[in-house]
Formats: sequence, C-alpha cells, structure tokens
Amino acid sequence: MPVADHDHDHDHEPDPFEERFAGALRDTGTAFGADGTDRQDLAARGEAHGRRMRSRRRVAVAGTAAAVALVGLGGALLLPGGQGDGGRQQTAAADPSSRSASTTARSASTAPQAPMSADDIVRTLEELLPEGGISSEGGHVTDNGSYAGAVYDDGRGKAAITVSLDRVQPGSREARQITQCPDKLFVAYDACTTTKLSDGSVLMLFKGYEYPNSRSGTKRWTAELVTPAGGHVGVQEWNAAAEKDSPVTRKQPPLDLGQLTALVTAHEWRTAADAMPLDKRSPAGPDTTPATPRGSISTTLTALVPDGLKIVSKSPPDDDQFGYLVLDDGRGRSLVQVNVQPGMQDVEDQLFGSDAKVLPDGTKVALRKQSGDKGISGIVWWSVDTIRPDGLRVVISAFNSGAQNTPATREEPVLTMEQMEAIATDRTWLTLG
Amino acid sequence: MRKTRDNGFPEFAAARAGHLYRSACLLTGGDTHLAEDLVQETLGRVYVHWKKVSRADNPAGYAQTVLTCAFLAHRRRHSSRRERATGVLPEVPEPQTGGDAPLRLTLLEALGQLPAKDRAVVVLRYWEDRSIEETAAVLNASSAAVRTRCVRALARLRVLLGDSLGEYARS
Repeated sequence: MPVADHDHDHDHEPDPFEERFAGALRDTGTAFGADGTDRQDLAARGEAHGRRMRSRRRVAVAGTAAAVALVGLGGALLLPGGQGDGGRQQTAAADPSSRSASTTARSASTAPQAPMSADDIVRTLEELLPEGGISSEGGHVTDNGSYAGAVYDDGRGKAAITVSLDRVQPGSREARQITQCPDKLFVAYDACTTTKLSDGSVLMLFKGYEYPNSRSGTKRWTAELVTPAGGHVGVQEWNAAAEKDSPVTRKQPPLDLGQLTALVTAHEWRTAADAMPLDKRSPAGPDTTPATPRGSISTTLTALVPDGLKIVSKSPPDDDQFGYLVLDDGRGRSLVQVNVQPGMQDVEDQLFGSDAKVLPDGTKVALRKQSGDKGISGIVWWSVDTIRPDGLRVVISAFNSGAQNTPATREEPVLTMEQMEAIATDRTWLTLG
Repeated sequence: MRKTRDNGFPEFAAARAGHLYRSACLLTGGDTHLAEDLVQETLGRVYVHWKKVSRADNPAGYAQTVLTCAFLAHRRRHSSRRERATGVLPEVPEPQTGGDAPLRLTLLEALGQLPAKDRAVVVLRYWEDRSIEETAAVLNASSAAVRTRCVRALARLRVLLGDSLGEYARS
C-alpha cells in the first residue's frame, strides 16, 4: 500500500508518526468500503437529490423573472418587508431613473468581477518586484480565490515566490487567525510580528522554515495581509527555486521584510482581493463564540498544577478538549499537554490493557515513559492515560523540553508521574463536559 | 434534452460514490449515517452543476471539494455538540495489511476530537494526498494556516494515539 508518499513537511527525514498515521488512516478509510455494501444506492440517491434541487432552482428563477417583468412594465414592485415588522410590505416606484441608479450601485458593490488569473498575478508580480528575471510556475483560480507561483531571480540565486488572493468575513475568527503568529510550540520560526496598519488592515510578517519541525534547511518567509473588507493577500518566498526537493540557492529569500511589506500591501492585490465574493461557507458577522463554552482546558490545568511552577505560556482558549502549559520550575522548561475525550468506553479495552491500574472508583490508569520525537536530541515523553467508568478519558503528556520539537532542556519533565496521575484523575475534568 | 445535460453523471456518481463515502466517514469520525447524507448532498450539488463540472479538468476533485464544504457547513450548523463515533465502524474482514478494527476505532475517535477544519486538513492531506496549496484552495485558507493546522493536528493525534499505531509501518 502506498503510504505517505506525498510531500512531507518535515525535515529531510520523514516523520515516522506521520507515516504510521497516514497508513492507519488509509486502512481505516478503506475499511468503510470493505463490507461489500453496494454504494450504487448512494449514487442514485445523490442524483435524485440533485433533480429535486434543480427543480427548486427552476421555480426560484421563474419567480425572479416574473418580478423583473413587472418592473419592466413600469408597475410597482412589491418587496417583502423585514421579518420582524409584521409582514409589512414596501412599495418601490419603478421609475427609470431610480432603477438605473440602483442597478449602477449594485454593480459597483456586489457584481462579481473576474478574479485575477495566474497569468495576471505573475504579470503584476513582475511589475512590483525589483529588477530581475521571473518565470511562471502556474497557479489556479477557484470561485473564492486565486493563486500563482513564480521563480524570481534577482541575480543572486533563484527563489520561489507565491501569491494568493481570497476574501474572508471581516471580523471573523478566520480573519483573525490568518494574521496570528503561529504557536511556537508547533511551528519553529525565527521571527513573527503582527501589525495594524493605518487603514485598519492587519499585517503578519513571518520568518520561518519550509519544514516546521526544525529551524534548518529551506527558509520560508511570508506576509499575510487582511484588509478591513476581508481581502486577504498572502505572499510567500523561499531561498530555493521550489518549496521542496530543491537545493538552497541563497542564504536568505530575496525580499527583506520592508520589500515584502511593500509587495503584499500593493494596491493591485488589495483591490483584487477586496472585490472577490465573500465565501458563502464563512459564517456571517464577527465570531466571538469561545470554542470551549465551559472554560478552557489550559485554565483548568493551570489550577491543578502544583504551586511554585512558573507558567511560561499556555494554549489559547480556542481549542476544544485540548490544552497545554509550558512550565518552568527554575531548572528548565517543560511542556505539559492535556486531552479530554468523553465517551471513550467503546475503545477502553484497546487503550487499557490488563496491566492498567484500577482505582477504587473504577478509574483505570495506564502509565507510559517513552522517548519523544525521533531526531530531537534527548527528548523524553511521559504520559498518564486515564479513563473514568463513564468513559471520560483524560490523557496528560509531559516532555523534558518546552516543545515537542526542540532539544531536551532538562533531565526529566517538570511533573512526576504521581503528580500527573493526580492531575489526570482530579474531579474538575468531570465538570468540563 | 435532459439526457444531454445528464450525460455521464450516472457513471460518474457510480464510480465516485464509494470513495466519497469513505472520505465522508473519515471526516465525520465514523458517523456512517451522516457520511451518507453528506455524500447524497455532494452528489446532488454536483448533479445541478454537472454541465460545467463535467467539462472541468478534475470532476472528482471538484466533488471532493464540495464534500469538504458540505461537512464544514454541517459542523457550523451543529457546532454546539460534536458527533461521536460509537461502535459505528462496519463489520470488516481482517485486513490484509495488519491492524485491526479496535485500532481503527481509536483512530476515528481521535479524528473526531479534532476541530472540524483540522480534521478536513488531515483527511485532505493524508487520505486524499493533496498538497498544502491544494488543501488551502479547498478550504479557502492560506497555505500558512493549513501548515499550522496540519502540524498542530498531528501533534495532538500523536498524544491521543500514542504508540498504538506501531504496526502501521511503511509497507
């Protein structure tokens, strides 16, 4: 079976866990078709569903045509009023001047414009970049965005550059996340800043690496701009002629942060991105709902760790059922992660063997000490896995480093196995639901 | 007239339904009923646009994108509670490549715990073999965001699955 034969985002040696996971995922997915169930019924149901949808669309289109015809005859067009005003209807006079004014306004604000093609992007890139050679590497255009790649040579080594344009809901969580510096715990990088510009746009500048597990190899610098209208411009540059499988051609990517800023904020991109249709998939309006309604995992974990430990950083509250703290007792940083999974009784036997400890209340506890990621010097990974009789699983992992992907900073994790067990079996987790 | 418009759709649907269903099962963390609904919705939407889709370079890829969108839209509508897989993995014969059904159920449980977009990233990257850029295009996200999601999701799955995937070595 071809396992994980796609491009790897890790340093030159593939990550063994990633490979095993890809294999297991393929096996799991394939198993869903292995029961011999005839999926032709699903194909037929899909087609029938499509026919119904098409019929509904025909009716809707016919209705629209009737309304337009009425306006064309110089009559009064009845528009349904707001939902909350008792079904009041407004009457709009259909005189030619107001009609033409409203048509113009509509076409200026919402009429879809043809998105920039990959060729358009590369041509614009050529105009905006400092003197040098440029060749297109192609791209694609979808309903919601455009993307193109190019190889740029300023005479000091070929470098890949990509530009992507799309649009997100202004104020949405997605809009915020684009310009949020990534968590250093998961992505290794040298520098990252987020700035609000005078026009209200937010700009993130990021100096990182192609392979996020280590600060070595091909460098990848990016600029992400989100305008107040939700226009999103992303520029990436490498110090190699291609993202992957291509030798480093120069010490740094060609554009410094000033040039990168000038490029990403160029009005050509912003105009194109702001004119793109808003993705119908994005929820409308600002999204301020917390992902974990009853308090975050990291807050709960903070309350449970022993006194006297300095909290260096903690996970944002956005994550559902997952959280971490980076702790320091004065002898080096240590990452502690928690996962909380309700309703796991169906796989209890799989996770807890006969050697698992059983507490008086029926909670099962399995302890593990193992080496951490391959290639990370001296790292160890301790974990305490617990499951309550009602199936609530709480797993705590601790590392002797401030992250999973950085070398050991101390001999052992900051918490003992006994302390981790006490935290995992604390009753507070039961109240998070 | 209708015959012309539908030209090739039944064959396309018959050929792709199985794969779409398996993808949907992974996206839903093993909820086979929801997976069927999502595939039906997906094929319905593809049917409506079939004239255009059939002329596109990659109708199968388009259908996969529609499925991912349908899944994310469903999750947004039902975001208060996550669906859970509870013994929904069908009875399967012993696989030829090692592993067993309980392990797969553990994997589905772990997948089911990821935020919907992280799960979509993982399925597109490791089940559909899409590149970072292709995944970003499907999700209408920046490639930087997809990279971050992917690394974070793997870190989380690593903790949840521990060494239980030991036997899924490259073969």
